[in-house]
Amino acid sequence: MDTSNPAVFVNGGLMRMYVGRRIRTVIQVIQSDGGGVTGKSTDGHQLVVKGPQPGFPLTTFVEVIGIADTDRSIRAEIWNNFGNTFDTQSYNQLCQLANGEFKHLFI
Amino acid sequence: MYSGEFDGAAAFSGGGFMPSQATTVPDPSSSFSKNRNVRTLLPMTVKQLSELSSNDESSASIDGADVNTITVVGIVCDMQDKEPQFIFLIDDGTGRIECSRWAHEQMEFNEVNQISKGMYVRVYGHLKAFQDKRSLNAYSLRPIIDFNEITSHFVECIYVQLYNTRLRGGSSNQPQMTNSNHLKEYNAISSNHYSFDEGKSIDQMVLNFLRRPEFLANNNGVHRNVISQQLNLPMDKLMSLSLSLSHVFSPIKLSAMQNGTS
Repeated sequence: MDTSNPAVFVNGGLMRMYVGRRIRTVIQVIQSDGGGVTGKSTDGHQLVVKGPQPGFPLTTFVEVIGIADTDRSIRAEIWNNFGNTFDTQSYNQLCQLANGEFKHLFI
Repeated sequence: MYSGEFDGAAAFSGGGFMPSQATTVPDPSSSFSKNRNVRTLLPMTVKQLSELSSNDESSASIDGADVNTITVVGIVCDMQDKEPQFIFLIDDGTGRIECSRWAHEQMEFNEVNQISKGMYVRVYGHLKAFQDKRSLNAYSLRPIIDFNEITSHFVECIYVQLYNTRLRGGSSNQPQMTNSNHLKEYNAISSNHYSFDEGKSIDQMVLNFLRRPEFLANNNGVHRNVISQQLNLPMDKLMSLSLSLSHVFSPIKLSAMQNGTS
């Protein structure tokens, strides 16, 4: 069992707490081009995801796991398609809880 | 001596009969954690699993709840085929844990063949420990299809931890479950023993329930049966509460009653 490299559940607003650290978040893809993927976080912030894009087409909602370069950009390591429907509100609430009083269950 | 079907009530009415010989109520002080027939299913994060306190996996517990079967949701980082044993390394974002799945029958092979690296899976299994290394002996692995299940799983982890630490006071006494069938799996002990540590917590539960927006907006009040069912409170406990009218009625309703208007 290894808990040395967790990926913290974050939304756009929480990323500033984890700059330089490994995070995971779900974005709604707005635009995808050579400069990266622009998406909307579950709390409505615009995020830019850089790094080698996956070899498969992205769905509307994508989970990105990687390093937070800044409070609005991520250097992606892993991309996971989450489909075209996703409950962003619940995920956003989870991010709040996972970084609040229940942080000890996650990191 | 008694013949035929034993009638406890009849036995007591005759006098000179020891109740302890007639009843079969389990001793509340008995250690449920040692009852091997008790099975719990707990959603957990790998971080929680890493912090379990126990000498061996057969007596692990967390927040006062016995840990028997657990469920985790994570990404398959690595797979090893050592047929008939298949080993998966699952990363749920809080940590990584090794899960072993043994396959002997075609159905089990089919299940394993569905799993591929990089995929999100739901794992059910028993915790095992070997030389200070904890892993899962999985008896079910299935791919996640609806990714809201990931959110749901972690919210459940939070809920169960909250339930076991605050609502139950962290004691080994397991209260009756709520009405939701979804939550029954968290409590394998279907005990009729229902207790609170302090009477005032029932008051607060009822008050919080009555203050829900849907009830505040409704001037017709809430029937005691609804309160009893929703909060899973026995009626006698509900009726014994000493809630003042000022707590129960909204200010407008109270003044209307005092003025004799409806």
